[in-house]
Amino acid sequence: MEQLINKRRMVWGGVCAVLACLVAIYVLPTLAAPEPDITAVIQSHPPITDANQTAVLAVNQLAHAQIADDTACRLCHSDTEENVVFPSGETVSAQIDLAVLANSAHGDAASDPVACSSCHQPINNYQQPHVPVSADTLREYELTQSANCQTCHVQPHITSHPGPESENPVACTDCHGSHDVLTVEEWQSGAGTEACTDCHVEQDVPIVEASQLTEIIQAGLFTQQVDNSYCLACHSQEGLTYTFPNGDTLNLTIDANALHDSVHGDGNSWQPLACTDCHEDVRFPHEPVTVESEREYNLQQYPLCGRCHETNYDHTLDDVHGAAIAEGELEAAVCTDCHGAHDTPIPNEPRERISYTCEQCHSTIFDEYATSVHGEALLSESNPDVPTCINCHGVHNISDPTTALFRIRSPQLCAECHADVELMEKYEISTDVFDTYVADFHGTTVTLFEHQDPNVETNKAVCYDCHGVHAIKAPDDPEAGIKANLLETCQQCHPDATANFPDSWTSHFKPSLQNNPLVYLVNLFYQIVIPATLGFFGFMVATDIYRRVRLRLRG
Amino acid sequence: MTSTTQEVPHDEKQYPRFRTMARIEHAILMVSFTVLTITGLPQKYALQAWAEWMINVMGGIEFVRVIHRWAAIILVIGSIYHLFTSAYRFFVKRERMRMLPEKKDLQDVIQTIKHNLGFTDEAPKMAKFNFGEKVEYWAVVWGTAIMALTGFVLWNPIAATVLLPGQFIPAAKAAHGGEALLAVLSIVIWHMYNVHIKHFNPSMFTGMLPRHQMEEEHALELERLEAGGDPWPELALPVLHQRQRIFFIVAAVVGILLLAGLVWAFTFEQTAIETIPRVTREVFVPLSTPSP
Repeated sequence: MEQLINKRRMVWGGVCAVLACLVAIYVLPTLAAPEPDITAVIQSHPPITDANQTAVLAVNQLAHAQIADDTACRLCHSDTEENVVFPSGETVSAQIDLAVLANSAHGDAASDPVACSSCHQPINNYQQPHVPVSADTLREYELTQSANCQTCHVQPHITSHPGPESENPVACTDCHGSHDVLTVEEWQSGAGTEACTDCHVEQDVPIVEASQLTEIIQAGLFTQQVDNSYCLACHSQEGLTYTFPNGDTLNLTIDANALHDSVHGDGNSWQPLACTDCHEDVRFPHEPVTVESEREYNLQQYPLCGRCHETNYDHTLDDVHGAAIAEGELEAAVCTDCHGAHDTPIPNEPRERISYTCEQCHSTIFDEYATSVHGEALLSESNPDVPTCINCHGVHNISDPTTALFRIRSPQLCAECHADVELMEKYEISTDVFDTYVADFHGTTVTLFEHQDPNVETNKAVCYDCHGVHAIKAPDDPEAGIKANLLETCQQCHPDATANFPDSWTSHFKPSLQNNPLVYLVNLFYQIVIPATLGFFGFMVATDIYRRVRLRLRG
Repeated sequence: MTSTTQEVPHDEKQYPRFRTMARIEHAILMVSFTVLTITGLPQKYALQAWAEWMINVMGGIEFVRVIHRWAAIILVIGSIYHLFTSAYRFFVKRERMRMLPEKKDLQDVIQTIKHNLGFTDEAPKMAKFNFGEKVEYWAVVWGTAIMALTGFVLWNPIAATVLLPGQFIPAAKAAHGGEALLAVLSIVIWHMYNVHIKHFNPSMFTGMLPRHQMEEEHALELERLEAGGDPWPELALPVLHQRQRIFFIVAAVVGILLLAGLVWAFTFEQTAIETIPRVTREVFVPLSTPSP
C-alpha cells in the first residue's frame, strides 16, 4: 500500500495522495472491522489495526507534503503570553507545551507524528497575523475543532456519551485532550481515568445509564480486568454480526439475561464468570480474526473451557469426538456444541435435555431411540430411570461403539439397570435376565471373551443383537416386540433356523415346571442319579477299605 | 542267582485277561475321555475361576470347543470300533456274552458287602467280569450313548429342531453336563479306586493279571483257566474264514455307512454365521433447526 502511494506520488503528487487517503480511510477499515452495524454516539478514536495505521500514515504524508514543517507555529506558541480571546469574553492560552505535545499520541515521539496544521486547518486562518477566531465561545471552538478528529478517526467509538446531535455533546477533546492526547497503551494501562472523573465525579455530571457505566468509570476504562458490562455495551446490541471469509455469519449479540441465567452466571456456585475469564486476552479494539470459518473459530475457542473443566476437557480429547477431530472430522462435537457458549444451561435439567442435546447431531439415531421403550418414557414423562444416551455411551469419555470391546462389554451395561432388583421391581421386570443370559451359551461365551479376549470379535449374541440397539421395544410389544418376531430375530444369526428353533432359547426363564419343564426334569434326574450312583460306589469303596484295614490290623 | 529267582512266585503268576483289541479300545477311550473331561468340565463351569484359568491356558473358549469336538469324534470312532469288535466276537467267534448282567451279580454285590463288613468270611467267587466291572462297562455304554446323542443335538441344534421341540436343546445341554459329571465322578471314585488305589491292575496294559488279583476278583475264571480252559475259544480255520468273509463284507459296508454318517453328523450344519454383520449408519445427521 505504501509503495503504491509512493509510486503514484511521483506522478500525480498530492491529488493522488488524497485519493489514497480516502481509500485508506473509508474502504480498508470496513474490510477489517467485524462490527459494521454498531451505532456509536460519537465517532472518534480508531481501533489500532493495520489498516488504520496506514490511514494515519497517509494523513501524515498529506500534511507533510503540504507543509514543510511546524517551525513557524512552534516559534511563537512555545513561548507566548498571548491569549485567544473569544467574543464571549472567554480566553484560552495560546501557549503550547511542546514537550507534552512531543510525547503525546500525535507527537514526535509517536511513530506517526501529526503536524499542527493537520488539525488546525484551513491554513489561511493561521497566517500571521492570525485572523480572529470565528467561534463565538470557547465551547463552540472545542466542538468545531473536535470535528477535525474525524478526518482520521473514522471508526465508531464505543461510548454512550451524547454525540453532535445532542444539545450538550461531549467532544473528543473533552476526554482525549487536544495537544496531550494519550496513546492507546496509556489508556489501557489505566491512565486518563481522571478525564472521566473530572466530569462525572468532580463536576457531578449525571450518568444516563448509571447501572452500566458507573463501575467502568470508577474502575477506569482500560483496566486489566474489564467488567462484563463493558463488553455488553456492544455485544448486547441487536444485529451485531461478523462475517467470516468463507461467508459464515456469526451472531455477536450476547443475550445478557441468558448469560446471567447460565451455569456460569449469577447461579454459579463458585462466582459469576466475567467475559474475560474465558476471553482473557480479548481487548478492545479487538485483534483481527484469523480463521476462515465459524467452525474453525469454534474449534479455536473451545479449549477455553478446559481452563476450568480440565478433567472433562481432557477426557473429550481421548473420546470418540476428540479422536474424530484429531482425524480431521471437524464437525465432531466440542464442548460448546453440546453445552452452548454463553447460554450454558444445566445440561441434565430436565433429564430429556441430555438426549435432545445428542439429537442436534445424531438426529436419525435419536428418532429411533425416541420410539424405544426407554426413549418414550424419557421424552413423555421425563422418567428418571430409563437410560438417556449418556447412560450407555458415557459423557465426556464416550467410547467408540463400533469396537469389539464395546460390544462384548455391552451386556454389563444393560445389567447395570436390568440386574438391579430395586430398580426393576418398580417396573415388574425380572432381574434373572442377566444371570440366565450368562448361564446360556451366548452369554457364557461373551463373558469369557470379556474376561480373556475383550478386543476379539465373537459371533455370539449380546443383548442388543436380539433386543435392538436404539429402538429397543418391550418384549411383548405386539408389533415390534421380540416375542412377536423371535424366529426372524434368531434367523439374523442362524439363517437356517426353523419354527422350533426359537424354543431352544429359554427366554431368560430359570427352568421350572412352568417354564422349560424338560430342562427342569433333566436337571432333577441328575440331581438324584448322581448322588445315588456315587453313594453306591462310595459305600462299596468304604466297605472294601474297612475290610482291608481290618485284615491288616489283624496281621 | 539261584533257580528260585527265575521262578515266578505262585502269587505273581500271570493269567491272560485282555486281548490286544480290547486294550486298543481302552487306550482310545482313555485318551478321548480324558481330553473330553479336561475340555468339557471347564465349559460346564465356565465362569468359575479355575475353569476360566483352564480355558485360558488351553487357548480360549472357541479353541477348547474345537478340541472337545475332535476328542468327541475320536470317542465316537472308538465306540464304533468297539461295536465292530463286539460284533466280530459275537457273530464270528460266537463267544459267550460274558459282560451281560446276571442274577449272580446281585448276589455277589450282597455277599461282597457282607464279606467287607465281616458278616461272612467267604468272599464271592466271581467270573471273568465281576459286578463292579459290569457296572462300569454298562455305565460307559449308557454314558457314551447319552453324550453322543446330546452332543450331536448341541452341535447341530438347527438340524435337531427340525424334528424335536426347541426345548430339547437346553435339555440336551443339561443332560450332557449332568451325565458328564456323573461319568467323571464315577471314574474318579470307582475306577480309580479299583484299579489304581486298591492295587494297580496292569491287565489293560499288559493283558495279564497276577494270580492274587485273579483270586480276589475273578476266582471262578481262575478255576476255569487252571482246569485247562481256554481263555478265548479258537475256531477251526475253515469255519473262521468263512464267517470272517461274510463279516468283513458286512462290516465294510456298515463301516462305510457309519463313517459317512459320522462325517454327515459332524459337518451337518452351519449353525450360525461366522461374524455378526456390521451395520453401517450415518452418524452425523445434524438437525436443520436446533430443537429447544
